[in-house]
Amino acid sequence: MSLLDIQNITLSFGGITALSEVSLSVEKGELYAIIGPNGAGKTSLLNCISGFYKPQSGTILFEERDISQNRPDQIAQMGIARTFQNVELFANMNVIDNMLLGRHNHFKIGLFKNGMLGYRAKAETEHRLKVEEIIDFLEMEQWRKHQVSSLPYGVQKRVELGRALAQEPRILLLDEPMTGMNQEETEDIARFILDVHQELGTTIVMIEHDMGVVMDISERIGVLDFGRKIAEGTPQKVQKDPDVQKAYLGENYEEVLKGAAG
Amino acid sequence: MKEDTIPDIFLGKVKKYGDRVALREKEFGIWQEISWNQYCRHVRHFCLGLMELGLKKGDHVSIFGENEPEWLYADLAIQSAGAVAVGVYPTNPAKEAGYVIGHSESIFVVCDNQEQVDKVLEAGQQLPLLQRIIVTDIKGLRRYTDSMIMPFTSVEELGREVEEQDPDKYYRTVETVQSEDIAIMVYTSGTTGPPKGAMLSHDNVVQFLKAQSQVLPQYDTDEIVSYLPLCHVAERMMSVFFPINSGATVNFAESVETVSTDMREVLPTFFLAVPRIWEKIMAGIMIKMKDASWLKRKMYQVIFPVGERMADAKLAKEQVSISLKIKYGLAYLALLRHLKKELGLLRARIAVSGAAPIAPEVLKFFHSLGVPVLEGWGMTEETGIGAINLPDDVRLGTVGKPIPGVEIKIAEDGEILLRCNHIFVGYWRDPEATARTVVDGWLHTGDVGELDEDGRLKITDRKKEIIITSGGKNIAPSEIENRLKCSAYINEAIVIGDGRKYLTALIQIEYDNVGKWAQESGIAYTTFKSLSQNPRIWELIQQEVDEANKDFAQVETIKKFRLLEKELDHDDDELTATLKLRRKTVNKKFGHIIEEMYSSKSRG
Repeated sequence: MSLLDIQNITLSFGGITALSEVSLSVEKGELYAIIGPNGAGKTSLLNCISGFYKPQSGTILFEERDISQNRPDQIAQMGIARTFQNVELFANMNVIDNMLLGRHNHFKIGLFKNGMLGYRAKAETEHRLKVEEIIDFLEMEQWRKHQVSSLPYGVQKRVELGRALAQEPRILLLDEPMTGMNQEETEDIARFILDVHQELGTTIVMIEHDMGVVMDISERIGVLDFGRKIAEGTPQKVQKDPDVQKAYLGENYEEVLKGAAG
Repeated sequence: MKEDTIPDIFLGKVKKYGDRVALREKEFGIWQEISWNQYCRHVRHFCLGLMELGLKKGDHVSIFGENEPEWLYADLAIQSAGAVAVGVYPTNPAKEAGYVIGHSESIFVVCDNQEQVDKVLEAGQQLPLLQRIIVTDIKGLRRYTDSMIMPFTSVEELGREVEEQDPDKYYRTVETVQSEDIAIMVYTSGTTGPPKGAMLSHDNVVQFLKAQSQVLPQYDTDEIVSYLPLCHVAERMMSVFFPINSGATVNFAESVETVSTDMREVLPTFFLAVPRIWEKIMAGIMIKMKDASWLKRKMYQVIFPVGERMADAKLAKEQVSISLKIKYGLAYLALLRHLKKELGLLRARIAVSGAAPIAPEVLKFFHSLGVPVLEGWGMTEETGIGAINLPDDVRLGTVGKPIPGVEIKIAEDGEILLRCNHIFVGYWRDPEATARTVVDGWLHTGDVGELDEDGRLKITDRKKEIIITSGGKNIAPSEIENRLKCSAYINEAIVIGDGRKYLTALIQIEYDNVGKWAQESGIAYTTFKSLSQNPRIWELIQQEVDEANKDFAQVETIKKFRLLEKELDHDDDELTATLKLRRKTVNKKFGHIIEEMYSSKSRG
């Protein structure tokens, strides 16, 4: 049974159909990438999984439970974490505090125990330790106490990844983790995503435009175009798929390819 | 114990200090302490583990990574087995690292993380003798299938098992190490040609420590921050040999980027930095002062001269007047103390600048702040320091007097010759170079300089780098370059003029500071290149060059200069691992720009 099983979901806004009859499944421990031209419905799909949008039909099974009509906070509670295309951090808080917020779902003690210093101190130490492990993992020591708004964009994206990791997610959804980055930052983030996947064994679903990165690191790729899934498979297979080439290069893709080769 | 080898000295300290703190490493944001006993246990286990893997006396093992306790464990473990520890610069690209590991005939290499492992694997073909790659941080390596790769902890585990069977094996092994055995090999940075491996014996290090402790004693209360590359002889002394001789505590910065924060937390008492770092700190203060509020700026303008006068008086060894003492006391409380604290130098009992020449202006600045930075000079080939200024006896512009046991004379051509009982054994696999370097017991340093009437040594420049203009005038480029680098806007300067009518310079701007200036002046730029091509930046640097020119004789002034469009980089072969200039590469790479400055039509 797949960890995440999306079956025939359709999402429309008024007359516009963002997703129609999309099905895909992600296995446990997989690094799955979703690609497609602009407006293909990639982010809409991610928003459906994380509960921001509710599909009109179809089911999203996470560990065999339909989550398609759940609220985002409930979904986060179940162990699905995400990052955003445009960084969504608390700009006036420092890196540690932003990441500690990611621990929110793991704050177990209630009002009564919270009042007792011993319990609270112990819990706080545990959460801080977890955050420090992530700081170490993502090599962010030098920015620990920096206010987020003062950090370069590439670092902010890393903080966001760190916050998602602080949730100790079972599935990590990454919405364009490399946009707006220079070559070096892109390579760094790609390395970290691979590390997260291999070291922590986290299942990752990633939307990304940078084809080089996608082809290098993902195990399986699903291609969306105009809200439909047009192909799925290994990077090699997807690259050769005529439908995918058509989606990216237009109807006369064969001539374009010939032109490029010539 | 006879204490005539490095492991002997180490074990002596372990016995003496036991559960006291030997090392601190910041992990997960907290300083974790490692006692002398724990330090020793790691060394023992790693040593026995390596021997179990086939390490024998006289073998070579490379250590390739950033500073961390495991670097030290490996270093002392290798030496305990009578083998030779070879340091590789962590910033070395695959080709250069491969050269050192291959040339030294290392059978194992100890790496700190995946980045270095990748480089070793990339250089794999050059390394037929390499048997194992031992890694401290195995993050990202789980899927590597290369059978050579082995975690550091597994080696220690192997050693622990051996020790359970035979608890005395380590100590018996240490006893077989002789004082004349080679302990470490230090590859020189190689500004010209490939690096050479200088072999230093246990005796070299022991004799040097004896001499050093007479002039710059270190105590068991001293705190050290380890952050410069450990494969360089200076940092090796600071982090490994001095502390095992004195019992001082070594603190490892969390990462290269956090050194300044870590310094503030540790407040080291014994601190070494290279000129580039002192220059950077100075530029940082200057720029911050320009940005500061009116009140703060005024305060600095009033207070700093008081510090300067105090420094002058102390340097000249004059009697300090009561009024100056009071003024200085106030200045200290109002500003200097805070500044020193901010820099992490509040407790710095001894601060040293070494490894390259530094401009007297920079030293003067720190003396005025109340951080008397001592300039020293030395060679890998004589195990560290040859001459150094002492805390109460500083003369700026000189590197002080030779340390006890070191004899210095100046050859007819001006080259500094040095004789002492800790001259290196020779270059590995290069007897010719050894014979050229040590002649009749005198070490030919390759530096040109002079001794003044008090016996203080003044370094002019590297012999090979002296410029002789077409007018026949001998000029030391580094003196002019260092003066230029005093500017907060200049990061690197290369003076040219060998065989030419006049001097010119290639200048690399200090990106951060110039960028800031550009923003304030409303100059738009996108990259380093576009910034350095801006005519107004050129004017800014012209002012700085004019300022520097005032300090030199007419023939030594820079007549024209060009700004480099890219930052010089170790990866591009323009700098060595220690960020020293490779003049040949630079001159070749920027040959067309240089020629342009000597053609009659050019501007400036």
